[in-house]
Amino acid sequence: MSNEQSVADAETLRAHSRDSNVGRTGFAEGTSIDISGLEVTYGDGTEAVSGVDLTVGDGEFFGFLGPNGAGKTTVIKVLATLLSPTAGEVRVNGFDVRTEPRKIRESIGYMAQETSIDPELTAEENIRFACEAYGVPRGDRDERTAELLDLVDLEAVADKRSEEFSGGMKKRLDAATALVHRPPLVFLDEPTTGLDPTARNRLWEYFQRINEQGTTIFLTTQYLEEADTLCERLAVILDGKIVADGSPADLKRQVGGDVLDIEMGDGPEARARAAAIAREFDDFDTATVEETETGISVTAQAARQSGTDLLVALRDAGLIVTGFNVRAPTLDDVFLAITGERVDTDGGAAATEEST
Amino acid sequence: MSTPTESGIADREVARSTNTFAGDVWVNFKRWNLKAVRNPFVLVVSLAQPFIFLVLFTEVFGNVAGGAVSQGLPGIDYTTFLVPAIAIQVALASAVTSGIGLVNDIENGMFEKVLVSPMNRTAVFVGKTLAEVFRIALQIAIILGLGVLLGAEITTGVVGAVGIMAVGILFSFWFIAFSNMLAVLTRDQESTIIGANLLQFPLLFLSSAFLPLEVLPNWIQLFARINPVTYGVDAARAIMLDEDVMTVLEVTAFGGALDTIVPAVAVLVGLGSVFGAGAIYLLSRASSSDVR
Repeated sequence: MSNEQSVADAETLRAHSRDSNVGRTGFAEGTSIDISGLEVTYGDGTEAVSGVDLTVGDGEFFGFLGPNGAGKTTVIKVLATLLSPTAGEVRVNGFDVRTEPRKIRESIGYMAQETSIDPELTAEENIRFACEAYGVPRGDRDERTAELLDLVDLEAVADKRSEEFSGGMKKRLDAATALVHRPPLVFLDEPTTGLDPTARNRLWEYFQRINEQGTTIFLTTQYLEEADTLCERLAVILDGKIVADGSPADLKRQVGGDVLDIEMGDGPEARARAAAIAREFDDFDTATVEETETGISVTAQAARQSGTDLLVALRDAGLIVTGFNVRAPTLDDVFLAITGERVDTDGGAAATEEST
Repeated sequence: MSTPTESGIADREVARSTNTFAGDVWVNFKRWNLKAVRNPFVLVVSLAQPFIFLVLFTEVFGNVAGGAVSQGLPGIDYTTFLVPAIAIQVALASAVTSGIGLVNDIENGMFEKVLVSPMNRTAVFVGKTLAEVFRIALQIAIILGLGVLLGAEITTGVVGAVGIMAVGILFSFWFIAFSNMLAVLTRDQESTIIGANLLQFPLLFLSSAFLPLEVLPNWIQLFARINPVTYGVDAARAIMLDEDVMTVLEVTAFGGALDTIVPAVAVLVGLGSVFGAGAIYLLSRASSSDVR
């Protein structure tokens, strides 16, 4: 894919959307989302969001990261005009969520956390319904429908009822229906939760493609890997507050490098000795060493390069290593670094997710 | 690997025309009709039960009930007496599916999907209801056709048949509204089906549907006065027979069948408005973005 081409397209789009910005007041040029002091308190007194400030620029691929119940879905629902803010100013594509919700609905695509398609309709009919719902001009509907079926690789099953589709196919169809009107801004609420890795990769490719074409993407996720692969910028939300903001690299820097998990054959004493060796290990400038239930866990910038040396050192000290694994920091590690506490980031437990 | 220019999406602009109220109604009307066609089971079941009633009742009770009918309405055979009631039964059975459709939409996310779209929300519900009403009209037409095949006679002819369809539609509004209220309140398919179906049989039997009220116990006669089915059936039957058949209200101002049709239609309009208002209130609360 030609990068220059994509950049040129994005430039054209930005120029275009700048033209259509005429008349918007008090809104910074090139800003898709502008949130200041957002608070959402539910009827039962639960403070789902307390004081969020955030801006997302045109064309950005923005990730909103947080564990279950942190307030991600609440924020995205406010942005998609499904939920009114209790306090604060929220502007989307230049429009106020309180006074101009319909203008916002016309100019965004929204993919809910739960796959939302009509199972009784075929793939094509689902997209066609969305075309009509979003007022795609009659003459463009055939072409747009074909184009989107192609984009999400569902041409072969265009005439099949979507109830027969796999989870990944349903998600892809759902994503296609959010794009019929070529919105400059798309919201994706945990789009890959519950999907197998192949389906996930395929969706990722597809999201990247839309972003390269100039679409601003606001994505929520529980997976650091997902945010890492896709997003230029991230914000981490915890208990309704933003606790970190920056590029994926920035966030991982806070963790302090890659993680080397070592399984030890012997008891707690051996683990303590191993931890001591790791702490004094010269090749790691600064390492965080933690004793776990099965061995030790070492976080260091050089964990990948010098990990084997540490294993050798442990063996030389007469300790038995039964297993090891070097990995990139996970969301869990980021949270540990940011908040000092481990959080439950079990992605499979979608049932416990907040969805009001 | 395909490039964005090839896929044709590169020349991006927000490509949409403005939504119109009528357009939004039409889009939803089409979708719900398509779903009805896709789901012939629902169509067939809501027709089959009333049809079975029509055949069984005329065959099993025809002789006995015919005697009772001819006391009040001489010269009318039981099939002719029963067909308008079955038309109302169809309207009742079909109206339940309106709430079920709404629950399904809430469960599969389409409800929310429609809320984030720029469609006018009133138009969305008008389109859905129109599709249901359209289906009820078709089903009543089928029942009337079958009734005629079984020997029933529509005294007022084709105009009368259209009139009976109109009464069936008018009658269905309160129950469509009621099933939607159940749907919003329970948000559960089974509760909606059970809630609506439990009501169907008492409403039908404790009315003027299957036998003239004169031959029924006093308490049923009393209940029949406040039972919407009585007014729907009486209006349909008055058109079918071209006679004043209403016994729960004594109106003589208009003469002939109109003495039944006018007051019955007035009652049904009132009922539809009250239940309709309740359903609109609950639906707009369910679609609002207010934090709860």
